[in-house]
Amino acid sequence: MELVIALGMNGIVWGLIIALIALGLSIIFGLLDIINIAHGDFFMVGTVMAWFVFDATGNYWLAFAIVPIVGFALGALIEYTVIQPIKNAAALSIVATFGLSIILQEGVRATFGATPARLTAPIEGTVLLFGLEYEIYRLFAALLSIAAICCFFLFLHRTKLGTWMRAVRFDPETATAMGIPARRVYMVTFAIGFAMAALGGVVAGPITTVDFQAGVDILPFCFMAVIIGGLGNMEGTVAAAVMLAFFEGVMASFTDPTLARIGSLCLMSVVLLVRPHGIFSGATR
Amino acid sequence: MLELNGVHAHYGKVHVLQGTSLKVQSGEAVGLLGRNGVGKTTTLKTIMGLVKATGGEISFNGSNLTDIAPHTIPSTGIGYVPQGRGIFPSLSVKENLEIGLTKAPPSQVFDYVFDRFPRLKERLSQPGGTLSGGEQQMLAIARCLVMQPRLLILDEPTEGIMPILVQDIRREIKAVNDEGVSILLVEQNIKTALRLCSRIYIMEKGAVVHQAAAQDLKDDKETLHRYLGVTV
Repeated sequence: MELVIALGMNGIVWGLIIALIALGLSIIFGLLDIINIAHGDFFMVGTVMAWFVFDATGNYWLAFAIVPIVGFALGALIEYTVIQPIKNAAALSIVATFGLSIILQEGVRATFGATPARLTAPIEGTVLLFGLEYEIYRLFAALLSIAAICCFFLFLHRTKLGTWMRAVRFDPETATAMGIPARRVYMVTFAIGFAMAALGGVVAGPITTVDFQAGVDILPFCFMAVIIGGLGNMEGTVAAAVMLAFFEGVMASFTDPTLARIGSLCLMSVVLLVRPHGIFSGATR
Repeated sequence: MLELNGVHAHYGKVHVLQGTSLKVQSGEAVGLLGRNGVGKTTTLKTIMGLVKATGGEISFNGSNLTDIAPHTIPSTGIGYVPQGRGIFPSLSVKENLEIGLTKAPPSQVFDYVFDRFPRLKERLSQPGGTLSGGEQQMLAIARCLVMQPRLLILDEPTEGIMPILVQDIRREIKAVNDEGVSILLVEQNIKTALRLCSRIYIMEKGAVVHQAAAQDLKDDKETLHRYLGVTV
């Protein structure tokens, strides 16, 4: 029973981190119609940048501030050089972001190396929770993810830029006719998507391994969350990520992780059979 | 005020606008009529920079609109009410109204708009998509009015609206024009166009082929029949 609780809690923590990353994928898809195969690698680049910051300064907390900013700048650069030229071509976006994924992975392998590394959590120790000694850092990671997700929704619904993003997402032509710089909104959106994945990388760094292929594992999970949540549906994406990770965590306590992942994929298939547009389709887009 | 001189525009290889020329003077209400597919909406979109002009000139109060970024065109003083209204359904009425504002306008501007369209004031927090067609059209016009335009471009503002609300919308457009805002109106409803506008341009095959005072056109049954296929 203790194992089920522990893996279930790990699942929720991991689900919240995935939700943060998948939200980035969701806004990029929802606004730009880009199927971003490189999104998992944005997360991986986040973990690697966190490793470099820690290696250079010995202070992991700095990574929480620096990495999202660098991620934002990298996202803006990628949008300008890779995404803008193929705008409105969904099929091309798959090829282009697949190429980008290879470039990012090989770039990291060339600089960071091929050997996976581990990061030490900036908060050590455990706390008694549901009869278990649970790592304080994991709780911190969950709280930070919740805070970041809330900030994102506040940004989306309470700021001018967020309102512009929601408007451009629905009708870029009319938005332009209302004076909204749609191209700049696209760039900022992609940059925010990268920054959120990179922040997810910093948060997850001490929980997972720093590895140039770390994004390969996380990408299908993010896509599952986005699809089950309803394509482009932000709130649905968050809920689906947490539910999926919890489900997979509990499954993993009865069987091995590969079978748990197969279980998640079966769950996604069932959801899509019953609700082809995702569980939360029809909610706000 | 607004002048189009030999404007050309393409959708891919399709040559849609083939030398369109027209003028709207300050304070004037001008109608642009024609059968479906002759390029009326494309003309408006080209003015707004949403379709790139591939030839000719578009000037508004001395500035060449083809030289500036499309999203900066509203700040020159042109408000655009697109066909189908262009309301952002998930944004609230308030967010829709404020979407184009870069700084808060004087409070009298909102007072003026809510005097014109009191229904909108009652529905400020409601999502734009939940309004009726007529209310959405009011919102689309109000959204432009808060930006205090000098020219209001309307693309079929009475399309798909309940007849009782058509009268309201027609009255408000007339009132806005009476207050000095120029109007460029594309309409399928010939009666509305003839009633609201002082001058009418008729388009055919991507170019203006006829222009006349609305009063004269009303009596020119042959022209109306030849270009628009209607009898008023």
